[in-house]
Amino acid sequence: MKLSGVSKAILVVGMCLSAGMVLTRAIAVDGISERARQLHFSSIVIDTHDDTTQRFLDPGFDLGARNALGSIDIPRMKKGGLGVIFFSIWIPSKITGSEAVKRALTQIEAVHEQVRKHSNDLVLVTTAEGIREAHKQGKIAALIGVEGGHMIASDLGVLRRYASLGARYMTLTHSGNAEWADSSTAKPEHNGLSEFGKDVVREMNRLGMIVDVSHVSDKTFTDVLEVSNAPVFASHSDCRAICDAPRNMTDDMIRALATKGGVIQINYHVGFLSQEFRNAEKAHPEWDKAIALDVQKRCGDRQGCQLIEGDRVTREYVLRGDLPRVEWTKIIEHIDHAVKIAGIDHVGLGSDFDGANMPFGMEDASKLPQITDALLEKGYSEGDVKKILGENTLRVMAEVERVGRELNAAK
Amino acid sequence: MRLVRVSLIACLLVAGFLICQVAMGDDIAVRAKKLHFSTIVLDTHDDTTQRFFSKDFDIGKRNPDGHIDIPRMREGGMNAIFFSIWIDGRIMGPAAVQKALDQIDAVHENVNKYSKDMAFCRTAEEVRRAHAQGKIAALIGVEGGHMIGNDIRVLRMFGDLGVRYMTLTHFYNDEWADSSTAKPEHNGLTDFGKQIVREMNRQGIMVDISHVSDKTFYDALEVSKAPLIASHSSCRALCNHVRDMSDDMIKALAAKGGVIQINYEKSFIDQAYKDAEDKLSGGVVEMMDKLKKECGDNDDCMNKKMNEMAEKATAEGKLPHVSWERIIDHIDHAVKLVGADHVGLGSDFDGANMPEGMDDVTHLPQITEALMRKGYSDEDLRKILGGNLLRVMEQNEAVSREMRAAQ
Repeated sequence: MKLSGVSKAILVVGMCLSAGMVLTRAIAVDGISERARQLHFSSIVIDTHDDTTQRFLDPGFDLGARNALGSIDIPRMKKGGLGVIFFSIWIPSKITGSEAVKRALTQIEAVHEQVRKHSNDLVLVTTAEGIREAHKQGKIAALIGVEGGHMIASDLGVLRRYASLGARYMTLTHSGNAEWADSSTAKPEHNGLSEFGKDVVREMNRLGMIVDVSHVSDKTFTDVLEVSNAPVFASHSDCRAICDAPRNMTDDMIRALATKGGVIQINYHVGFLSQEFRNAEKAHPEWDKAIALDVQKRCGDRQGCQLIEGDRVTREYVLRGDLPRVEWTKIIEHIDHAVKIAGIDHVGLGSDFDGANMPFGMEDASKLPQITDALLEKGYSEGDVKKILGENTLRVMAEVERVGRELNAAK
Repeated sequence: MRLVRVSLIACLLVAGFLICQVAMGDDIAVRAKKLHFSTIVLDTHDDTTQRFFSKDFDIGKRNPDGHIDIPRMREGGMNAIFFSIWIDGRIMGPAAVQKALDQIDAVHENVNKYSKDMAFCRTAEEVRRAHAQGKIAALIGVEGGHMIGNDIRVLRMFGDLGVRYMTLTHFYNDEWADSSTAKPEHNGLTDFGKQIVREMNRQGIMVDISHVSDKTFYDALEVSKAPLIASHSSCRALCNHVRDMSDDMIKALAAKGGVIQINYEKSFIDQAYKDAEDKLSGGVVEMMDKLKKECGDNDDCMNKKMNEMAEKATAEGKLPHVSWERIIDHIDHAVKLVGADHVGLGSDFDGANMPEGMDDVTHLPQITEALMRKGYSDEDLRKILGGNLLRVMEQNEAVSREMRAAQ
């Protein structure tokens, strides 16, 4: 609050002075170096996982206006230089069959609707080339990822039609097992991927859809790597070496993913970033329940509200001193660890904005330039930072598209 | 002798007349053939989609049964086809949505598989382009509003997947519109039904009023900003079936720029057949119900059984013979009523009982020839064969562009 007051005052003073003066002052205020700013705002910055879609179903939400709550809207994406966003299609994994299909379709349409509504700022794209084109035009590229294989209801026809409606990746499971793949957070049923699950992966290859291994069990991950003809990615996962959560990836997994040409997209969720936070959470399962109850009371069944409020209420626990405070710099630690393990070509960003508990200092998309600044500070070259910000994801997309074309031609 | 000479002359005269007639006939036959195989021949309603799920069926090969496949479409000169997405009207909600999605997928997959022969089309312009490339234009129509699961967002996604018309109901009422073959529940279109019609206009999805109740028809006509189609209906004046359109309805449809696409189903084109069938089975819905019990969810089986039943009953004399020429009567009636700009073809191939002489799509050139013999001009024939429908598609596309721009 104080800081923003200072910032405003400086801006007013700065406006009376030269443009160069304003810039110099701005550096002093938000701590982002001019070099980082230049680099960040000229790069393609991709985020592969945002749960903002849930908010689209809330009639009161306006993506075009700056919202007091949540992490994503067009003004804040612009302020944070976030140029490419994957809107996540998600329903709880206990909802399966036709019901899941219909709801997923509704959410895909909700993304299309937002893009239509804000066509001056957004454009729906489906290819790496499309992303580059949107960037040239100064538009935010909107893409679609389906978070959970349960939404295809074991039906390849449905998968194919999601692809034609613009879905560019599918996470094979969410928190529960799909009918054909095991999740990292459920009791194994299929010993990884079932035979049909392997067909799903092969069909995704043919469709040029990225196979997403976030959420899946380690065995599912291994099976996927074996079956997939194209590189795969983890759209929003962290490093287990730093925070031992089943949702995160071991060093071996990260290496295997990289060997296949894939990317780990670092998740900003405090429970995946910080072992300390995770331990505190585990020590008090009753808090988790209390938070859930509180959120339920405030939101009812509205998923978008639940996700936003969940983050807010959790933050209250932190401010009270019940849960440890996790700083945004934890994100940098995970990025740096993954880069050391797998190399600079295999790490990217998958925030989980609007669907997770954000660390302090990374409350929303407007804070993204800090990541660029921190990586430059750490000694990363500008080329390396560009890779992490988006070029690695673009490479995987282009490669997956190439494999898809090849498989179709070979038919 | 004289007598002989006279009869010889008479003979020559008769022979000359006969030869002359044959020559004249030949001329029309040749002209009709030439016209038929050079123009866009578009059929707005084919239930072949159901067959895609049968292991025995391959659209790329000539099949011994059914009415449609690529070789026979080529032979019959049909070069634009609306594959119908259809499930029983009593299946609703999410299950209906998924099944419809599966059928939409099956159409796309089959078009992809035979991309040398077929091109998936979304606009009139694309249909023309496909024709210029010698390909069959494949389009999608959804036969029944129950398949959107009462959700306007699903309708929009169907539009994005290439659906170019939607029949507002099938045999049963859906959540927001009354069918012609069910007890009225909504007094035509509900307010949500009207919203659906407007959204279809915005999407450029043609509103199809085949199957709907008369009140739904008039409601849709009033609400729609774009011309409507009856994708597969015939004339009630010639065969008094609720699935057909009265002269007043046809006039109202035409006044709004729409088209009636004549259905070849025997019980919709022939009064004697309809009456006999009603006596035999109690009506089309009851008959389908009976078959459903035998075939379960296998719709290919349903069609086969339906044809077998009809053939058997006809052989036993329980159902009258119906000639394919009844189709011509319906076309001609509609043209006389509203002009050649508002009539087209919506066979119902692979989903209905075909009249004798129209056993499959290879027989289509007969229609062109018969109409030419009736004196129809080449221009009118091109309109009836496909031009009218393309015009309505273009008008729907224009309305869609306007509505989107106005947003």
